[in-house]
Amino acid sequence: MNRRVLPALLAAAAVVLAGCTTEDHGDDSTAPKPGTLRVLASSELSDMTAVFDRVRKDTGVTIRPTYMGTLDAIDLLAKGKADGKYDALWLSSDDYLRLRPQAAKKVVSETSIMSSPVAIGVRPATVKALGWKPADVTWSQIEQAVEAGKLTYGMTDPARSNSGFSTLVSVASALSGAQSALTDDDVLKATPRLRKFFKGQKLTSGSSGWLATAYQRRTDVDALLNYESVLKGIPDLTVIRPSDGVLTADYPFSSLASTSSATREDVRRVTQDLRTTAVQKLITDTTRRRPVVASVPPAAGLDTTRRRELPFPGTKSVADGLISAFENDLRRPSRTIYVLDTSGSMKGDRLSRLKTALTDLTSDFRNREEITLMPFASGVKSVRTHVVDPRDKRAGLDGIRQDTAALTADGSTAIYTSLEKAYDNLRVERDTFTSIVLMTDGENTAGAKAGDFDGFYRGLPLAQRNIPVFPILFGDSSRAELQHIADLTGGRLFDARQGSLDGAFEEIRGYQ
Amino acid sequence: MRRIAGIVLAVLLIGGVVAAVVAGRQGDDKGTATKTVRGVIGSEKSDFFADPDVVKALAAKGYTVKTEASGSWAMDGLDLKGYDFAFPSSSAPADELAEKYHARQPLPRPFYSPLVVVAHRSAARVLAANGLAVLDGKGKGTLKMASYLDAARHDRTWQQLKGAKAYGELTGTLYITSTDPETSNSGALYLAAASYVANGGRVVASTADVTRTAPLLHKLVSVQGAQQPSSDSVFRDFISGAGNPLVCLYESQVVSLLAEQHGSDDLVVLYPDTTVNSDHTVVPLDDAGRALGELLSTDPTLRRLAVRHGFRPQGDSAEFVRATADRAAYLNQTLTGVRQAPVPTSAVLHEMARRARG
Repeated sequence: MNRRVLPALLAAAAVVLAGCTTEDHGDDSTAPKPGTLRVLASSELSDMTAVFDRVRKDTGVTIRPTYMGTLDAIDLLAKGKADGKYDALWLSSDDYLRLRPQAAKKVVSETSIMSSPVAIGVRPATVKALGWKPADVTWSQIEQAVEAGKLTYGMTDPARSNSGFSTLVSVASALSGAQSALTDDDVLKATPRLRKFFKGQKLTSGSSGWLATAYQRRTDVDALLNYESVLKGIPDLTVIRPSDGVLTADYPFSSLASTSSATREDVRRVTQDLRTTAVQKLITDTTRRRPVVASVPPAAGLDTTRRRELPFPGTKSVADGLISAFENDLRRPSRTIYVLDTSGSMKGDRLSRLKTALTDLTSDFRNREEITLMPFASGVKSVRTHVVDPRDKRAGLDGIRQDTAALTADGSTAIYTSLEKAYDNLRVERDTFTSIVLMTDGENTAGAKAGDFDGFYRGLPLAQRNIPVFPILFGDSSRAELQHIADLTGGRLFDARQGSLDGAFEEIRGYQ
Repeated sequence: MRRIAGIVLAVLLIGGVVAAVVAGRQGDDKGTATKTVRGVIGSEKSDFFADPDVVKALAAKGYTVKTEASGSWAMDGLDLKGYDFAFPSSSAPADELAEKYHARQPLPRPFYSPLVVVAHRSAARVLAANGLAVLDGKGKGTLKMASYLDAARHDRTWQQLKGAKAYGELTGTLYITSTDPETSNSGALYLAAASYVANGGRVVASTADVTRTAPLLHKLVSVQGAQQPSSDSVFRDFISGAGNPLVCLYESQVVSLLAEQHGSDDLVVLYPDTTVNSDHTVVPLDDAGRALGELLSTDPTLRRLAVRHGFRPQGDSAEFVRATADRAAYLNQTLTGVRQAPVPTSAVLHEMARRARG
């Protein structure tokens, strides 16, 4: 081996080794690979696995999806954080993306693949009780049923998920009486009616998947608002497209400006395959979305009578104004207890990461929101509640920041005893979205045992059993232990070991 | 030990990559002797270039064509380095690109297609009953542009039109869906046609003309809310049963849909009595691009295939009429009673689009 080659090989080896190390604890879905398209995709596209398999068979290209709420994905794109990490984008709709020039310029070509309108899925018994004829139900009728206390529903968070946002636009368009694309005035005019309409929302979620699961365990929720395709996948729902108009998602597969021509060629081959008769048929049969080629009829059970298509807002000010009105004024406020592990093992870096994450989170709290910090170790150390009062937002948020800064780490880990305390604190029922966030970096070492907590939880009255715990996996905490808590209470586990603690807190916002 | 294993692994990997590259090259050389030509095209031509028969016809002449879709008016924002040609759907952006990249005039214009409005049957019937359209049989008709613009000026809703009540989906403001005129050609041409009528049958040329027509054009666009970036997207929405019942797109898109699915119970093609043509114009960025442009214009097989995809080849209208005889129920084959308005200059159209969106 001559002298010139050796250093080059050593350098190459170093690269390979470095690559191995990053992969060990990094997210390997961000590593580029020829023949693989790293696709940033809307969460509900997780039902497309059979289609991805088929595309791989047809084209040899593997689709590797990373699922995310549509609006979060757009945010990532706008901040340039998707450059080099993803090869393509597949959202339920690019309408909102186009209102953000920073994000829109990252996209070069778009190809619609399939469509699904917003709809309401209602328990058949409720449909009967209301005397509804599914083909003729209007948004005003849904509104009347809500106001009469005869209909409650769940929907996803419009600030994160496109299904939630499309639902919000549909409802606002219909109830404002707007004849064309919504304006700021329309939103203002519709506010009183919208506030009443959203009183009926009993369940919120950051993703369509969890919404469906949560709905199935709740007996006090009569309906779900989401895309037709999602609702059709849930057993025992009568799916209604309101006759006065809906918004439709058209799932454009888009290539990104930051990619190479070889990658774009792969995107082109994939989109071409997705448009073939055979794949379009597979799509509609397995996912209940509607095909976009004329030779393939929609799957059996998809009603083909026409609906007015409500226009999506044409300006960012209207879209953002609507989201902001919803979050801060129209929806029921949220009420959350943060049960935070501040045992000895949190000392140092972990505690400072917790403090940073919590402090960052304060910019995200909504008006009227109630936040309780409950740090614990061998037992609950303190219980401090803050409310974000629209007349003086600063006061509440500063309070949270001060309490966060004062956190110290010492003692053992009494997870279950502290959770029981949190539920005790929520005994008085209020008209809010109530939940508990549990962040711990270790296993339970003191106080009540898992079995004790199970018994405690089962003995709670129904209203409290409806309060989910969202545990965050961090440090050396036990996945099995936390998964059990999530399953028992109808919550969802978030993993801050894969991503970051900030990211986990942020993601849970969609469920609060 | 781990380190040594790493080095060995690296050597193996590098060897593997080199072998793969060599094998790949050999494979290519043996397979074909075609020249690869890369281009950026308007999305409505994607199906044409993807057609296996087009691929074969091009290969027979020694070409492999790789394309990427982009809005015609967005092409001047792209870095076209490494491409051999751009193929926008109108002469105005083509001329602009030709100037920017020093492409020699005249530019090859292989085919064209007029702008039409597709309607669901219910919507077409109501328009006809209210004097906004004249139907010729079940599948085609003429849209009265002046009457339509008058309705738009007065924010006419479907509910105000007689006969609309029978169709639940016909509510809200009456409007035609178009693409974003700032980035997409069909949206810009829609404004070109509307502005010609609104300007008293004269092409908009001066600042005064732009100012005079701006309020109406703004209305036509703002009523739509968010607009799609490509004519393909709006057409797919229409096909999948979503979206507005009136959509402005190219005749070529309809012709190829009808080839795919003979007849459609719920489609009426309305030809605006004043419309504009989309002149599909090749902007050669090098010699290979120019040769391809000439080939598309002159090769009989490629001209025939262009008709299959709905385009009207330049020069000989009989070719199109003959080939679409089976779809005559939906197509105004000879464009009888359809007036072609000239398209404003690129600068004027840009300004018009900007003010319409703003």
